[in-house]
Amino acid sequence: MRTLRWLLIPAIVLPLGWLLLTGFGRDPREIATPLIGREAPAWTYATLDGETLSSADLTGRPYVLNFWASWCIPACVEEHPVLADAAERLGDRVAFVGVLYQDSPTDAEAFLARYGDAGYPHLVDAAALAVDYGVTGPPETWFVDAEGVVRARKWGPLTDATMREYLAAIGVSG
Amino acid sequence: MRGWIALVGVALLAALVAVVLLRPQPEASTAERARQVASGLRCPDCQGLSVADSPTAAAQEIRRQVDEMVAAGATEQEIRDHFVARYGEWILLSPSTPAWWLIPFVVLLVGAGGLGWWLLRGRSDRSPDANATPLPDAERRRLHDEAEALDA
Repeated sequence: MRTLRWLLIPAIVLPLGWLLLTGFGRDPREIATPLIGREAPAWTYATLDGETLSSADLTGRPYVLNFWASWCIPACVEEHPVLADAAERLGDRVAFVGVLYQDSPTDAEAFLARYGDAGYPHLVDAAALAVDYGVTGPPETWFVDAEGVVRARKWGPLTDATMREYLAAIGVSG
Repeated sequence: MRGWIALVGVALLAALVAVVLLRPQPEASTAERARQVASGLRCPDCQGLSVADSPTAAAQEIRRQVDEMVAAGATEQEIRDHFVARYGEWILLSPSTPAWWLIPFVVLLVGAGGLGWWLLRGRSDRSPDANATPLPDAERRRLHDEAEALDA
C-alpha cells in the first residue's frame, strides 16, 4: 500500500506540473492550428496596387503571409516595422505578402502612407484565404517554406526575436 | 373488464407514440440544411456566436462556403470536416466526439470513488481487527501483572 502511495504522488504531480508549465508558456486565447506541417493552401488574389498575385508565383521560395488591418491598433502598428525591416533585410530570399483582413483598400493605403510601405504586395478581398488559413483575427502571420509547407504561425504581433525564430522554421536565417 | 380496457388504452397510446416517432420526416430544404450546419460552427472573430448568427465578414464567407457545399451535395459531416481541417475542432460549437462531454463526469466519479475508498479505509484502520491473533494466555497474564505492578 505504501509503495502504491509513493507511485501515486509522481503520477499526479508530474502531469500536473507539466500541464502548468506548458499552460503558463502560451497565450490561453490562442487557438491551436491544424495546418502546421501541411501543404499551404493555394491562392490567387488581386493586390492593393492592382496586380494579381498567386501562391504559384512564389513556388520554390519561402514566404511570409501576414494578415493585418488598418483598424488593428496597436498590434498591427507595433509589428509593422518588424515586417518592413525583415522584408528589406532579406530581399529576395523570402517573399513577404500582406493580406487585408476585413479592411478597405483605401484605409489600408492610408495606414501604409502613415506608417511606411515596405513595398511588398498586399492581397485584397481575400476573406476566403483567411478561412483557408483558419485566421481568427489580425495580426496573424504564417510562415511557408520553399516546398510550400506551412511551418509556423505567429498569433499576435511579431517582434524582431519572434520574426527571427519563425523565419528559422522556414530555413531562413538573419 | 377494466383490465382489458386499460390494456387496450396502453396499446393505443404506444401505437400513437410509434406513429409520431416513426413517421417520415419532411426533407429539409437546402437553405434549412445550410442554416443548420452554420449554426453549429463558431464565428471565428466574435465571441459566443455561431456563424449563422454573426454579421462579420468571416462568418459571411463561411456561410457562403457552406451554402456552396450544401448545394453541391456535401453531407453535414463533410462540411464540418472541411472547416475542422482549417480551424481545428475549435470551430465546432459542440465537440464532434460526444465522449468529450463524459470526461467531467468520469473525473467526478473517479474522484468520488477515491474519496470513498480513502474514507472507508480510514474507518477500517480504526476498527478492531477481527483477524488479529489473540494473545497467548501466558503473555496476557504477564501484561496484566505488569499493569498491576505499575498501578501499585
